[in-house]
Amino acid sequence: MAENTLRPDTEFARQLMKAGGESLKECYQCATCSVACPLSPANRPFPRKEMVWASFGLKEKLMGDVDLWLCQNCGNCSDLCPRGAKPAEMMSAARDMIYRDLTKPAILGKWMSSSSGLGWLFAIPAVLWLIVWAIRAEIAGSWFPRAANGKIVFGEIFNGDYTIDPIFMLTFFGALAILLYGCQKLWQSFKPAGTITIIGKKKGWIRALCEVLWEEVIYASKFAECDGGPATGQKTDNRRISHTMLVWSFCILALVTAIVAIGHWGGKIIPAILITTPMPMTFPVKILANIGAILLLVALAMLTWRRARLNPRFQSSNYYDWYLLGIIWAVAVTGMLTQVFRLMDCIHAAFIIYYLHLMVVWMLFAYAPWTKLGHFVYRTAAQVYAKMYGRS
Amino acid sequence: MAGKIGVYFDLANIGGLDAATLAKGVEEKWGKLTPVVKSVPVLAESVQQISDDIIEHALDGVLLCGASPRVDADLYRFKNADGKAIQVGHVNLREQCVLCYRNPDNTPADPGNPPNLLTLMARDYVNMGIVRLQKTEYGEPAIVEGVKRILVIGGGWTGMHAAREASTSGYEVVLVEKTGRLGGAVNNIPVASPLCSPWTDKEPVKLPERIKELCADSKITVLLNTTVADLAGEPGRFMARITGQDGTREYEVGAVVLAAGWTPLSEKFLAPMGLGKSPAIVHAGQFAKMLIDGTVQARRIAFVLDTTLAEQAFASEADAPEKAVAAAEAAGEDAQSDGENMDKPFVKEDLESIRHLKYSNVVNSVGMLRQANIICDRTNDATQAFIIYKNMAIPGILERFYKKMQNRLGIMMTKADVTDISDHGDRVVVTCKNTLLGMDFDLDVDLVVLPCGIVPVTAKDLTVNFAYRQGPDFPDLELFDGFADSNYICFPYETRRTGVYAAGCVRQPMTLDGCEEDACGAVLKAIQCIEAGDHGVAVAPRSGDMSYPQFNFVRCTQCKRCTVECPFGALDDDEKGTPKPNPSRCRRCGTCFGACPERVISFADYSIDQISSMIREVEVPKDFKKGGPRILILACENDAYPALDMAALRHRTWSPYCRIIPVRCLGSVNAIWISDAMSKGFDGVLLLGCKYGDDYQCHFIKGSEICNLRRDNIAETLNRLGVQPERVEQLEIAIDEYDAIPDLIDGFVARITAMGPNPFKGM
Repeated sequence: MAENTLRPDTEFARQLMKAGGESLKECYQCATCSVACPLSPANRPFPRKEMVWASFGLKEKLMGDVDLWLCQNCGNCSDLCPRGAKPAEMMSAARDMIYRDLTKPAILGKWMSSSSGLGWLFAIPAVLWLIVWAIRAEIAGSWFPRAANGKIVFGEIFNGDYTIDPIFMLTFFGALAILLYGCQKLWQSFKPAGTITIIGKKKGWIRALCEVLWEEVIYASKFAECDGGPATGQKTDNRRISHTMLVWSFCILALVTAIVAIGHWGGKIIPAILITTPMPMTFPVKILANIGAILLLVALAMLTWRRARLNPRFQSSNYYDWYLLGIIWAVAVTGMLTQVFRLMDCIHAAFIIYYLHLMVVWMLFAYAPWTKLGHFVYRTAAQVYAKMYGRS
Repeated sequence: MAGKIGVYFDLANIGGLDAATLAKGVEEKWGKLTPVVKSVPVLAESVQQISDDIIEHALDGVLLCGASPRVDADLYRFKNADGKAIQVGHVNLREQCVLCYRNPDNTPADPGNPPNLLTLMARDYVNMGIVRLQKTEYGEPAIVEGVKRILVIGGGWTGMHAAREASTSGYEVVLVEKTGRLGGAVNNIPVASPLCSPWTDKEPVKLPERIKELCADSKITVLLNTTVADLAGEPGRFMARITGQDGTREYEVGAVVLAAGWTPLSEKFLAPMGLGKSPAIVHAGQFAKMLIDGTVQARRIAFVLDTTLAEQAFASEADAPEKAVAAAEAAGEDAQSDGENMDKPFVKEDLESIRHLKYSNVVNSVGMLRQANIICDRTNDATQAFIIYKNMAIPGILERFYKKMQNRLGIMMTKADVTDISDHGDRVVVTCKNTLLGMDFDLDVDLVVLPCGIVPVTAKDLTVNFAYRQGPDFPDLELFDGFADSNYICFPYETRRTGVYAAGCVRQPMTLDGCEEDACGAVLKAIQCIEAGDHGVAVAPRSGDMSYPQFNFVRCTQCKRCTVECPFGALDDDEKGTPKPNPSRCRRCGTCFGACPERVISFADYSIDQISSMIREVEVPKDFKKGGPRILILACENDAYPALDMAALRHRTWSPYCRIIPVRCLGSVNAIWISDAMSKGFDGVLLLGCKYGDDYQCHFIKGSEICNLRRDNIAETLNRLGVQPERVEQLEIAIDEYDAIPDLIDGFVARITAMGPNPFKGM
């Protein structure tokens, strides 16, 4: 008797097809995809095996598959598939299903999986920030108050110390905790039943993590490998530059936020490092922030342009892709507009846009575990796992 | 018999030969027989000139010395002043003389100065050509006025289609069905795999409508509950006796389409896969009935296409038929030497075996996809249908159907070795190894569907019951495990009995679309056969050949060899054993005259004397060392002769000592030709023909095999004469093996050269 009893789940396959893996049944197991993939290891290569698991609806197999995260979605496999199947899209859809199902509350995953849940997702931060606004307006005596010097200072309403900082810190660390919890669940599912024997030296996870962050986050070396794949006859855009720009802009903006936070809170103890917002346009941190914002816009434009031009015969973008791009666009656009209206001294527009900005920023962070943004953590975890156990 | 022959040398095609010398030689040697000897610059442009010569000189034969007779032969059809076609002969000087020539020291010929050996060769060929024409007679066609009625045996899908096809082509049909209803196996297949473009969708067969259509057709006589008692006569005018409940009636028919279909393989062969052990293990036939009755409750169904379990269990038995074949061949050899064996009462051997399961894989592959589709359709893919295959074999355009089925959510397929199927009460467990999923696994299912073996009716029953000298059944059925397929590579539907064309699953396992195509093909063949008889010409492979073997019964010794050896059973005999020809059964291969020790059989345009005379026309040098050996090659004109041409055209050359004479089939080689060659002084005879044995390629099925058997007798004769039997060899060549030809020929020449001169040389 064999060790495994097969548990095909047609419903899972159906959902996967709906989530973007429509072509998963087309596969006839020729393994052209595995040969075409520049990243697939020689031993038990992907995505052929994932395709057959998917067509049999083998949920556990697919959900515990580290290879799913090693794929960088270059689409070579889909371009070259002789049967017109799109393994890349199936892999992408499977990742989306992991975002959806990995962590609780499950309702968020469900809302996030299609545009029909978008209303709820917007409603939560809208109400949250409206309450903040209403309370502060009551205190300030006006919904659109000006500072004592007549300028627009958002802190008059959305006070940093008492509203923004606590809410965002709670949100950020809450999301991070959920992400790490998901990460740990994923890690467990990667481990096969029985024992693993590693031939050669095993890497510690810290070293593996550092390597992954250095190679993948700073340099995006896998994208370079992707681009160096076989000629497929299809146009392949350079994703390395745009993606790296995006990651760097995130890093810069995170750094700016951190500096401002430290300057603000630390300044209360050590007055020498005190930073007060709004910062003058010539202040180095402000300059850095604006560079980050411009990088973000350029990278977004490039990524959106690429997605818009994909040949749907071979590759397309699903709801998760567009949601993430959309929300980042919203963050960037509202952020820039906030500044613009503030400088233009249009107080009503400035406050409303700032309110929207807070909404989408909150969405970006709070929903991260259920969106494609989660891949920053999950993919990193999978790559660390692969590094530690020598799968490359 | 040509008495005035015009000889034309085609200068454009025989560069490197001295045509003037050759022409002079012809004039000197043949004198009045060849009143016109001309060299023309381009033969194809001299057709008018030749026609004029024919009128002017009252020629009755034309010999064209140039390219192979296979080139542009249709350009050269000439008529005399009375408008009657005259004999046209070809001498293949281009391919088989100039192009294939090389000096004995392996250097090429000097084009400006033709070597003596090349001239000698050309002269031999021209003389042989003249003699051949001289010995060619005008034959009278043996016309058999055809009855425009076709007997269709079997009222299944194939038979019904054949009947309709024949009727729409203007032929009457007698349809014999042994059961009480039409449709056969299709009664179990209400919805079929695709039957037409776009070849992706299931197809309702609409059997009742089709039966109604058939019965309403005034040209078709449907006889239910009847069988063929026997079939006598010959194509064009067969007499079929049909037995039914009301007794036996006779029908005169022109040709027969055999669409007798199949019976399912005995269930005992499926027992090793679990059939009979549990109600949850059924075969495809039973599942089809469950589908019709709507009693399928199972929601997880395994369709197991890998039949290794059953094949292994019956492995020893499967070998047995091979032994039986060997035994039958041995018996056949006895029969060759002793025609009396054939008079023993006929016993039909049951040829059903486990091998039929394997042969049916294609039909099962498509069938299981079809059944899986039906059940998934009904349950909106709530049913999981697993197809576990070893070889998923989907023929031709049905690939599109496969693709579509593959896309069904409920259908899951994997290649696997099924090592066990066991009943666990509430479920059946199918154990799969080496799967595409990269792991071995157990599959828990509610129902297992096993494949069905297609056993042709001809494997078990005498379907036609020929009233022929050679017995009531198709010969050599055991070679094909009972399938009425003659294994003709180039001639589907043909059987070993002219005028009887097999179609559908009796020929090979096939899906319904294949059956429809087969029905059309076989009907066209049947019509062609009736029409050929009307014109007194042969059917394939010598389509249109008007000659027919003539028997000089005065000298016949009733040895029966011709009646026994004819691959098509064309000859019956009377009580004394005198052959009784049936011209329209004959395919003009000449095997009968190859067999005849008394040489009483000949064709008007192909006879023992004709070839013997050609052999004698070759000039054999007395001095072996000085003039070299001489080798006679008798080459089958179906494969070997074209292969020789192709080799030469591809710049392959061989020994200049060979002289090639085409024969219709190696089966037509008479021992006397070899004796003639030996007494003429030839040092060796090479018989170049088709492959024989299980995978034979002989156009007349048995020709090269029979020739090989006869060679033993020839060897005996040669031994007695003091000639080494190794001087005669038979080699096999397929038409695409032209590259091997130089080595084959040179090897033989080397062996003969090593043997030294023929002891008869110069006597």
